[in-house]
Amino acid sequence: MRVAALQSLLRQRAPTVSAYVLSAALFIAATAYTPGFAAPTHVRQLLIFASFVGFAALGQTFVILAGGLDLTVPWLMAFGGIQLSHWTGTTGLPGWVNIILAVAAGCGVGLVNGIGVAFLRVPPIIMTLGVGGLVQAYLLSIGLLQSQGNRIPQIAVTVAYGKVGPVPVIPLIWLGVAIGASVILSRTAFGRRLYAVGSNDVVARFSGVNVMGVRIATYAVSGATSVFAGILLSGYIGTAYLDIGAPYLFASIAAVAVGGASILGGRGSYWGSVAGALTLTFLSAMLPLFNLNNAALDIVYGAVIIVGVYLSRLSVLFARRGGSAS
Amino acid sequence: MSSAALILRSRRLLPAASANWTPLSTALILAALIATDLALQPALLDVFQIGLEVETALTLVLLGLAQTLVVLVRGIDLSVGGIMVVSNALAATWVGGAGGTHQWLLLVVLGFGCAMGALNGTLVAFLDFQPFVATLATWTIFNGIALWILPTDGGAAPPALTRVVNASIGSVPASFVILAGLLIFWWYLRGTRFGHAIYAIGSDEDRAQLNGVDVRAVKLAVYSIAGLASAAAGVYLAGTTSTGTPTAGDGYILQSVAAVVIGGTSLLGGAGGFGLTVMATFVLTIIADVVAALNLSVWVSVAASAGLLLVVVGARSYFEARWRPET
Repeated sequence: MRVAALQSLLRQRAPTVSAYVLSAALFIAATAYTPGFAAPTHVRQLLIFASFVGFAALGQTFVILAGGLDLTVPWLMAFGGIQLSHWTGTTGLPGWVNIILAVAAGCGVGLVNGIGVAFLRVPPIIMTLGVGGLVQAYLLSIGLLQSQGNRIPQIAVTVAYGKVGPVPVIPLIWLGVAIGASVILSRTAFGRRLYAVGSNDVVARFSGVNVMGVRIATYAVSGATSVFAGILLSGYIGTAYLDIGAPYLFASIAAVAVGGASILGGRGSYWGSVAGALTLTFLSAMLPLFNLNNAALDIVYGAVIIVGVYLSRLSVLFARRGGSAS
Repeated sequence: MSSAALILRSRRLLPAASANWTPLSTALILAALIATDLALQPALLDVFQIGLEVETALTLVLLGLAQTLVVLVRGIDLSVGGIMVVSNALAATWVGGAGGTHQWLLLVVLGFGCAMGALNGTLVAFLDFQPFVATLATWTIFNGIALWILPTDGGAAPPALTRVVNASIGSVPASFVILAGLLIFWWYLRGTRFGHAIYAIGSDEDRAQLNGVDVRAVKLAVYSIAGLASAAAGVYLAGTTSTGTPTAGDGYILQSVAAVVIGGTSLLGGAGGFGLTVMATFVLTIIADVVAALNLSVWVSVAASAGLLLVVVGARSYFEARWRPET
């Protein structure tokens, strides 16, 4: 009975499981090559870097599951850092209030994306490209006003470098957020509606789902999490700049894809994206160990994404076949 | 209005009207921008200046051809920028390196672009990868290959290529001739069995298959031609700049998608065409031109480009969504 339950769980979660297997394989390979890879200090750092990818991929997962795509992620991450350091110098409000204001502003930008996509029916790739351009323009404009250097509020730095015992705070926040996100996706009415919209929005509409509302909400979530990711990242780096989020556009989408989600929506989970974020982080940390230059790094990176996505699909087929045999 | 009339309205009459509206609205947007640009810079009305304008747009036009073909079969190709930089780097090092004595090697470069496109096509058509994911990965791979061939900006384009690109037949610049050639190629392609198959697959893949279209083979061919066109874009860019830029591709990828969408080709496949994309490419080029002519600060330029993109596509999407049947 228990074995059967486990088997059915594995069948449902096959793509996610395969993504974890891939990330574990990469970790073991890197450790075998350089034992220092598994040293506690290095693992801590890896988890922190993976968390930033994970935060960026959180909103992206929500948006993609509902059938959209968010290209504003890197600009909103930059917004998180730059706007916050700008406000810290000008508003005189406590750091945490500024953080809440910045996250709320990100949520607002997400709402604009959502309204454009759901109400005006602009293709997501174009809507979020355009809004990303507007955010970029805004950041350039306050960059010109900013005379003194960056002032990341102390609270962001404290959180970014905080530890609970031996464990850094950022991955703990990530774990909490991941549990929260998966509960929302799999245990709430909103989560079920989100998958319904992603797999077939016409059927969802006729089933009484507020398709427009669900779509808009996913972009609002993505806006908020992107800004949050940017704040933590700039707290960790100690400064904020326009291109701070640039690597995270590709990484956030790739993490979702390697995690086994359908890029067209309706299928996938945040735990999959977590595995995707770990895979990508391990990969970019281990490739320099082999003395590869940037060119080779890009090539291997792309190849692993293809392999990861292919494995997650194979795993589904394999799990199905195993299911019919038992 | 009765419900029967509503159904008639939504199913028959207006969709046809909106389909006819697409080229017209794109042309109107383009005309308005051209008028604005000419009002700001009257000196532009000159064969040589227009030739330069076309030359600037032509790289994006070639990538737009690639993207349009792929989007018509309901795909997307994010690797166009990657294929472009690989061929750009090859043209500036391998072909141009030997003093440019082996011009025919450019054909090998184009062939290599075709092969890179075929890799995308294989992943999408035969291994059932989602186009977005497959080409996101190959984009990175191709970028890596380009950086491997040419780590930084440099190299030299073969002199003959530069000569051809900057040549003119009588007073007609080469860029006009190339553009005209591409449009003629497109109009020819559209009328062939292959062209019909592209539109059939884009509108309904299963029905196309049932009607005897070899969907996989056509998709493979489409991605291969897209690779060829992207490689041509890279070679052309090497010709106009006389050098190689292995990082030039990334900026063009979303531009090529934007050109397809602004033109009015549906990202859902089966509707639109290269002619629309060409108009949209000039819309984008002239927007950049107008913004540059106004001599605004950087952030205003960025905001104006993004804002115009949103206004143009937003207005069109809003009205079309309300004219089309609820599907």
